[in-house]
Amino acid sequence: MAEYDEAARRLTLKLVYYGPAASGKTTNLMRLHDALQPELKGEIMTLETHNDRTLFFDMLPLGFRAPSGLLIKFKLFTVPGQVAHDGTRKAVLSRADGVVFVADSQRSQALNNGLSFENLADNAARVGLDFDALPLVVQFNKRDLPDILSEAEITARWAGARWPLTFACALSGVGVAETLRRLLASLYERLAVQYHLDSEHRLSREAFVALSTGRVS
Amino acid sequence: MSTKAHDGTLAADPLALEAFDHDWTLAELLPADERPRLLRSLAAALDGEIELVDGAPPPVDHGRYAAAIQIDFEPLGWLLGPPERGAAVDGIAELLRKMLLDRQRYRMASALHMESVQADFAALRAQHEALQQSENRYRELATQLEVRVAEQVSLIEVRQRQLYQAERLASVAQLAAGMAHEINNPIGFVRSNLNSARAYLRQICAALSSMREGDQAAWERIDADFLLADFAELIDDSIAGADRIATIIRDLKGFSNVDRDEVAVIDLRASLEELCRLLTPRLPELARLHCEGQASPRLRCRPGHLQQALHNVLDNAIKAIGPGGRIAVRCACADGWQQIEVSDDGCGIAEEHLARVFDPFYTTRAVGSGIGLGLTLARDVILAEGGRITLSSRAGEGTTVDIRLPLGGAQ
Repeated sequence: MAEYDEAARRLTLKLVYYGPAASGKTTNLMRLHDALQPELKGEIMTLETHNDRTLFFDMLPLGFRAPSGLLIKFKLFTVPGQVAHDGTRKAVLSRADGVVFVADSQRSQALNNGLSFENLADNAARVGLDFDALPLVVQFNKRDLPDILSEAEITARWAGARWPLTFACALSGVGVAETLRRLLASLYERLAVQYHLDSEHRLSREAFVALSTGRVS
Repeated sequence: MSTKAHDGTLAADPLALEAFDHDWTLAELLPADERPRLLRSLAAALDGEIELVDGAPPPVDHGRYAAAIQIDFEPLGWLLGPPERGAAVDGIAELLRKMLLDRQRYRMASALHMESVQADFAALRAQHEALQQSENRYRELATQLEVRVAEQVSLIEVRQRQLYQAERLASVAQLAAGMAHEINNPIGFVRSNLNSARAYLRQICAALSSMREGDQAAWERIDADFLLADFAELIDDSIAGADRIATIIRDLKGFSNVDRDEVAVIDLRASLEELCRLLTPRLPELARLHCEGQASPRLRCRPGHLQQALHNVLDNAIKAIGPGGRIAVRCACADGWQQIEVSDDGCGIAEEHLARVFDPFYTTRAVGSGIGLGLTLARDVILAEGGRITLSSRAGEGTTVDIRLPLGGAQ
């Protein structure tokens, strides 16, 4: 949950990239690291194993200062997607303020996407997150691959869901920043009132999103 | 190390309680006790005094050069050194930053691992507790269950013995009724023959005394030739009647061992024929019961029980057929088995009753004519002998009961 340190004038927010194994969560973070130009950008910390599978998490710190001087700091995490690492996945998910669900667009992965999404809902409940109120964006990644579900098919399947859908090719960076912007917009709605972002820190939604991501290079 | 001590260690470690994703401080990443030695060697390399200050705000020290040690956006601390060695101080600060970044990565991973392990452990412990509770419940239930089952079993055993006894008495009573009729019949004609013979004897005596007094025609008057011939016939008939009664009595004696529990070797063929003879009087008018085929002359079994079982099967056949009906008992020995097939051309059994014919107390007959244990008892006996019994039937076409008994080594 958002951590507000009044003395240090700092608001820390945790965003988690969730999804099935090898759907491109780490790649999302790497592209964000390359492409985003926020005022503050830390080093990406990855903990990959030899076969490029995330064992614990990756972390990318981003941040900016609001006109009021409040430091707004984001920690973007990825979870390990492999089914076996559920305990770690749960621990990374805990205290999250927002989630990007990275789905694999390939037809063959539809079942894995579904299982992972259910796992997200289950784990959110287990770590005490209100899944219905949690800011969440669903990203369909790997749009460059053959034999993928069409945008129309995906849109039709997710028509009943209330979460924004985005399409991306994380490898080339397409849609990656857009996904984060959609999440930040939802997150702003959730935080604005509680932390008086508009009134006290003179931070509109547009400014919040723009300052968080900077100019896309 | 005991589990308890292990838990204590975990709880005592402040890192174990720290969330992996919190903002790590310089004090956490580089504890105070590690610093003097590290700073001494760095100072030696620099050839000048250096100092490490915790916290983000820049230290107020105008005499020295200050380099921020920063992992993300806010300095974790500051490195102070001689102003003329600024570049070297920056270099050392960068070295420390790299080292601290690696430490942070390691600390985060281990804290995350600890978090997930503790969560898993707590979940396992909860599961274990739940399992233990349910195990206790089942154990309690199991002890009660044993006692209750034992009670029920002994009750059932008592009831079963009573019922077997009742069924045996019923069949003995039925047999007795048949026997009474069968014995009455020869006794009736033997008595009638003897009455006639007594009358003949009186006539002959009277004729003989008249002849002694000189009345030679008296012999002719009584038609003595016919009287004597008929007299002999009456005696022969009566002896045959007495023999018939003797046979019935002998068969009945054979059947009277229904109460014998012990194993014995019997002549199955003789036993079956005896049983057929016993039951013949109960056949409907013009009906026939016959026995054929090969039956073991040396069958090891509990004779009383087996006779009871066969009686029950035959009794059913008799009740199923009408006047002129046929019952066949066909025996065969093959592959170590004695087959006894009892088939009748009687009323048969409707399909909806077929599955339940061996069920205790299942009867389609009128109340009072059977308690529904006949086939149940037969099956129990055959199974106890190591054999099997099957029944096939079609309504209106008759019934066949197939009994197989193991011949064993007694043949």
